[in-house]
Amino acid sequence: MRISYKLNDRFDLTIFLSVTLLVVIGLFAIYSSTQNTISQKGNFDKQLISWGISLCVLFFIYALPTKLLKPSAVPTYALSILLLLVVLVIGRKIGGARSWIAFGGFSFQPAEFAKLATILFLSNFLSREETDLDNLKDICIALVIGLFPIALIMLEPDLGSSFVFIGILLALLFWKGISIFGLAVVLSPGIVAVASLFGPIYFAVAVGFVIVILFFFKKDIFLSGSILALNIASGFFVDNIFNILSPHQQTRIRAFIDPNADPLGSGYNAIQAKVAIGSGGFFGKGFLHGNQTQLQFIPEQWTDFIFCVIGEEFGFIGSLFVIILFLVLFLRILRLASFAKNEFLSLVIIGILTVFFVHFLVNIGMAIGILPVIGIPLPFVSYGGSSLLINMAMLGIILNIHRSRKEST
Amino acid sequence: MSAKISLFDRKKIIYGIIIAVVSIYIFKLFEMQILAHAQFDAKASDNSIKAIEQIALRGVFYDRNMKLLVENTPAYTVRITPAEYDTSLNSKLETILDLENGFIKNMLFKNRTYSKFIPLRVKRGADFSAIAWIEENREHLFGVDYVIEMQRGYPNGAMGSHVFGYSKEISPQQLKKEEQYYQPGDLIGSIGLEKKYEKDLRGEKGYNYILVDSRRREVGKYKNGVNDLPSQKGKDLVLSIDGELQKIAEQELNGRAGAVAAIEPSTGEVMVLASSPQFDLNQFSYFTPKDYLRQLLNDPLKPQFNRASMAAHPPGSTFKLLCAIAALDLGVITPSTTLYCGGSFTYGRSFKCHGSHGSLNVIQAIEKSCNVFFYQLIFKIGLDRLKDYATRFGFGKKLGIDINEEVRGLIPNSAYYEKIYGKNWPHGILPSLGIGQGEVNVTPLQLANYCALIANNGKSFVPHLVRGYLDENKKFHSYKYKEVNVGINQSVFDIVKEGMYRVVNGAGTATNIRINDIHIAGKTGTAQNPQGKDHALFVAFAPYENPTIAVAVLIENAGFGATWAAPIAKKIIETYVRRSMPKTAATSDKNKIEVKQGAEPFAD
Repeated sequence: MRISYKLNDRFDLTIFLSVTLLVVIGLFAIYSSTQNTISQKGNFDKQLISWGISLCVLFFIYALPTKLLKPSAVPTYALSILLLLVVLVIGRKIGGARSWIAFGGFSFQPAEFAKLATILFLSNFLSREETDLDNLKDICIALVIGLFPIALIMLEPDLGSSFVFIGILLALLFWKGISIFGLAVVLSPGIVAVASLFGPIYFAVAVGFVIVILFFFKKDIFLSGSILALNIASGFFVDNIFNILSPHQQTRIRAFIDPNADPLGSGYNAIQAKVAIGSGGFFGKGFLHGNQTQLQFIPEQWTDFIFCVIGEEFGFIGSLFVIILFLVLFLRILRLASFAKNEFLSLVIIGILTVFFVHFLVNIGMAIGILPVIGIPLPFVSYGGSSLLINMAMLGIILNIHRSRKEST
Repeated sequence: MSAKISLFDRKKIIYGIIIAVVSIYIFKLFEMQILAHAQFDAKASDNSIKAIEQIALRGVFYDRNMKLLVENTPAYTVRITPAEYDTSLNSKLETILDLENGFIKNMLFKNRTYSKFIPLRVKRGADFSAIAWIEENREHLFGVDYVIEMQRGYPNGAMGSHVFGYSKEISPQQLKKEEQYYQPGDLIGSIGLEKKYEKDLRGEKGYNYILVDSRRREVGKYKNGVNDLPSQKGKDLVLSIDGELQKIAEQELNGRAGAVAAIEPSTGEVMVLASSPQFDLNQFSYFTPKDYLRQLLNDPLKPQFNRASMAAHPPGSTFKLLCAIAALDLGVITPSTTLYCGGSFTYGRSFKCHGSHGSLNVIQAIEKSCNVFFYQLIFKIGLDRLKDYATRFGFGKKLGIDINEEVRGLIPNSAYYEKIYGKNWPHGILPSLGIGQGEVNVTPLQLANYCALIANNGKSFVPHLVRGYLDENKKFHSYKYKEVNVGINQSVFDIVKEGMYRVVNGAGTATNIRINDIHIAGKTGTAQNPQGKDHALFVAFAPYENPTIAVAVLIENAGFGATWAAPIAKKIIETYVRRSMPKTAATSDKNKIEVKQGAEPFAD
């Protein structure tokens, strides 16, 4: 095999430059949205510092031997579970959720770290030779690995991060090659549960679909029956799960189902976000000239609603540019997944891709009113040190795998 | 074995999901930012750009000689911004601003649903001493400030309270009807000309566009004010009122209950419309103290009642002119017809006269105000025909003057009595009606209008208070008013006017007001008042030869018209007519000769 010594062969510049551009756009947006908010005035500087640290971490991970990744899976997962337990006890409460651990002047979210840990551990489990996803037991083990951190995070409660974990779990099972029936078994309770939130008719329709699918696969009656029972149970228990959520998240979900019911209450953010983006027009109102942004009509616009700042001040052109950068990033990572040396690394890449993608999906989806308002940052763009750090670390892993893709094991 | 998806297909599926999501998002952004951009932009502007109303300067009132009657004067308005205000200051501020205890708390409560950053008016027209105190204690008074706003001022000294009227804060009911122009807290004309000409006076509101943040706090001007729309001043009205005469009338009426109305006969322009007692318009210029309102409401003379156009009393002997006109016009008497007065008239019972006048014709009957003559006359005219004439002269109906405070009065006809007494109503009521007593009510304004019509031989215009308005360039535009013509022969007026001339200048009932060089023609009246002392009435016009003013005076509970009402009419007439005489010639021989010539036919 001919080894190219060109830089691009050792280092995926496309990925790195896309992300760099996203961070820079994010810095502009953070500056614009916080310059009038005294309490958040230092955010731009802090984000700049975080970026510097994150770059160091990225290059550090990039340079590590790739083979260290697999052995680190188990201890990393164990540590992250420990931290998730610790945060429930000593965590700091911000915005209704106990999701921050603080020591000294530094604070971070264990959930961010747990994302990477879960990817590594689940990939490790799924890439074992003896793992067989036609075996219900193995599916269950995979589910437990994925659902355990979700359960802990739901207790904080942090709905947005939970979605990311569900995404990781489904994506990795899928990438490992779960059968369509297996996927249906894993997915259906969730779909039934969500459907039941909208009302009994939706619930009945969803259960009907499950029955049709079960008939289609013609599995034995015991298995089919228990799966159906699980589905119906999940629909009925969704109320209990709903009640675990904090009140602000409950109202946000209700507001999504009918956003105009309470325009000044929980639907306010969703409406103002859309107004900001829509009023940006084709070219935008210009940097620092967005009324909605500068006059603080949208709360948390430097984190969860940062896309509104971009949409309003840089218009359709700016929004499109950001989305294209993400598209380049996603497709580039996906391409790498099939070049990866082994199944473990391939799964890790898909896991990381899922983290980035679900964040992108939920964050922009909520800003443009397609998805409910769920607090989740836009990767590389939103303000937030621990989020940026962990994303850059994950990007470091991607670049690391890219670097070593042609090395022999 | 269930279906497995190959690695290649799995990659394609993930690829598909990514492309699908990105496509949906791009499509949605295209829809929001390009297709629906205008809607969202409008919403964003609505969010953050606030139009601050600029109340237009209200039009002022000039009198007929272009003297300022009602003007705008700057006054201090003290305001509170609830978000910054500390309610522990309440009692202190209330004392300084002379407000009732608990006023501020109440006001803050009433406005609790509005933004806390919008200043609320606590006191309009605050004293300078209060402003000085606020200025001194500025650093302790967070959320308290003052601005200069315009309020009404009355520089002429003529009160004209009932005519000019005042504005009040708009009521919720009015707001419902007029919500396209007014906002809560706006002032709107409440009575008098301020009400009637509200649409002319108010002008056009202007708008300043400012930026507000999500908490409705003002951040600055929108685009440095290029879109601001300046307010347009209201129209300045030129009244037909004569400020000087109005002032004299008000001074003469002072301390009495009564009214004066004066009209220019050829135009129907009302030169005086005074009602007494008055009220202080200054107290109404923005905020009316409750004490003052209570005092007005408890006053038995009801100062807010516009007697000039609303006090309907029997016209007394002034009504005799109408009877004479009707009888002459109908031909039931001729100028030479004489009727006998033996001191009383019997119709069921005895109706008295104030003397025994012997045989007299209609001119003499007016001169002497002989009751017996007119007791007989009404039977010749007939009640329903009399009502027809009365209506032509503006009695028993609203004249349509340009203020809303006006009543019909009452002129009965046979249908009216049939309704009360049945078919066989007692005709013994009639003799009293012939001399303007009993169930007949007229207002001083109606009397003045009637007198003006006589003076101008049955032709005039609907009486009105506003001649026209001045535009931005101070150019005068006149309003048009409907012409009135009673359709009665000139010869009839000549007879009646001669009688009126003799009332003052002959051996009549008002010779006490005779002036050598100005010939006043008039008619006294004393309206019987079952509740107390009689009301004194007097109608007159002058100069007799070429009338330029017609006056009606009512003094309630005073007594004889000649004694109490006529001198006031004289003073007004004399002032007005003398003013219009050439000054240098006022006492010249030539003038005297002219007057004498005019007086000749009635020399003896």
